[in-house]
Amino acid sequence: MKKHYFIFAGLVLVGILYPQMFPGYLSVAITLLLYAGWATAWDILGGWAGQVSLGHASFVGLGAYFVAVGTAHHEIAPWWSILMALVAAAMLAYLWGRLTFKLKGPYFTLSTIAIAEIFRLIAINEGWLTGGATGVFIMTLPEPFGLDLFSRQVNYYLALAFAAITVLVVMLISRSKFGYQLRAVREDEDAAMASGINPTTVKLKAFMLSGALTALGGGIYAIFLSFIEPHIIFYLLLSVQIALTAIIGGRGTIWGPCVGALLIVGSGEIFRTTFAEANMLIYGLLIMVVVIFMPRGIVGEPARYLIRRVYAKRAQG
Amino acid sequence: MPSALKADGITVAFGGVVAVNDVSLDVEQGKILGLIGPNGAGKTTLFNALTGFVTPQEGRIYLHGNEITRLPPYMRTRVGIGRTFQTERPFEELTLLENVLVAAFLKEPKRKKAEQLAMDVLEKVGLADRYDQPALDLNLARRRRLELAKALAVQPSVLFLDEMMAGLNPPALKEMIEFVRRLTDQNLTIVMVEHIMEAIIELSDHVIVMANGSVITEGLPRDVIEDPRVITAYLGED
Repeated sequence: MKKHYFIFAGLVLVGILYPQMFPGYLSVAITLLLYAGWATAWDILGGWAGQVSLGHASFVGLGAYFVAVGTAHHEIAPWWSILMALVAAAMLAYLWGRLTFKLKGPYFTLSTIAIAEIFRLIAINEGWLTGGATGVFIMTLPEPFGLDLFSRQVNYYLALAFAAITVLVVMLISRSKFGYQLRAVREDEDAAMASGINPTTVKLKAFMLSGALTALGGGIYAIFLSFIEPHIIFYLLLSVQIALTAIIGGRGTIWGPCVGALLIVGSGEIFRTTFAEANMLIYGLLIMVVVIFMPRGIVGEPARYLIRRVYAKRAQG
Repeated sequence: MPSALKADGITVAFGGVVAVNDVSLDVEQGKILGLIGPNGAGKTTLFNALTGFVTPQEGRIYLHGNEITRLPPYMRTRVGIGRTFQTERPFEELTLLENVLVAAFLKEPKRKKAEQLAMDVLEKVGLADRYDQPALDLNLARRRRLELAKALAVQPSVLFLDEMMAGLNPPALKEMIEFVRRLTDQNLTIVMVEHIMEAIIELSDHVIVMANGSVITEGLPRDVIEDPRVITAYLGED
């Protein structure tokens, strides 16, 4: 476990120095960090608790809309609106989970798509609340401690903080009682109950934490974009990308979602610039290769192999 | 001795099929109750009703005098019921230590203490040297012992064992019987569903025989297996 904290400290240090080294590539890095954070937050529910959601765009949207509508229509500072979004996201996740955790496996996943779609329609149609289909512009933002929240540098450090917080939360969970309850529920709910675990409570906690963290990233995303549109931000594609990032990297691992973000955002960027038209094709092939040859993800597969090999060696000698 | 587990008139029906019909039992603390009967007799259903995985239509269940009939399975675990599953259900992605740790966390929320408890239990069932092995790779006898370790790590007062002996080779069977016997020395009450007569005769203080959902006879193990009704239930009429 110590090893993970060293990696974490090293990565945060690299992250802090990055804008000095590559000032021209800040936007890509911000996108990467946001996806790393979202995928890590998604993974608390999807990987550690084993409940695959394809509705996490709802939480991104919730966070983004709280910030955007808060500043544009009600003059609420983004830190307050993000705080409100966190509470709202946790409450939403609670109700959402209460409603859908009776469903198992793919049926739960389908229900998340349906509920996310409801939020997209609300965002498009309830113009008085959300600005409707045209979206919301963030024209002005307060300047805490003289920081310009519109600047790429500040956006970058916000995204870095977001990614770091989510990874840290998962690191803390992974060794805790809660972390083991999550894994037990994922593996076998009946056996978990025989160990005194209430699966519904555990899944609800995971969903609330996952949703709140995702909304935090959504709020930062809104500041980064400074213009949000319901079609994009509540869209199924965003939910799929978040889930895919975690799945490709390795579900239920500390670093899997971050590696997934590096691969998906990084390769997406490289392919777009070098292969132009063929970029989606290569992107698709890449996903196929990982899913077929590394079903547990890029981090999950070797980690598992390593554990078993180390044990087999010791058992022999 | 006070009653550890008591059930009054348990009836479980699935649709029109009555799987358990008006079964009552009473186990004293520190004793072993054996539950036998041919396949389809309703043993496992009764077992699941007592542990909370099936809700009985009628009847009441008491643990140390407190009614638990309506408690969900995880609440029953919290008030002192431990159980194994007939087909073992290890958390396959986790190591042996982590498997037991999940259960140990119930009474010891701190990681260090829970780990200590889990390790002690693994030691007891003889799996301590394999603590960091993934549960996926275990053979049958060790899967059984892991199943037992998980049930013990919740520190139950009444332990339910569902066909723990089935399929074990003779030395492993002897070991398991010896192990279960030692558990009652610590005042643990045990209810076991079992097909292996050797285990039932050696271990049980009292045996209940079920057939077609009902109790056909009960008593001391030696007496029960010689009862003509029991022989008929197993072998059929001639």
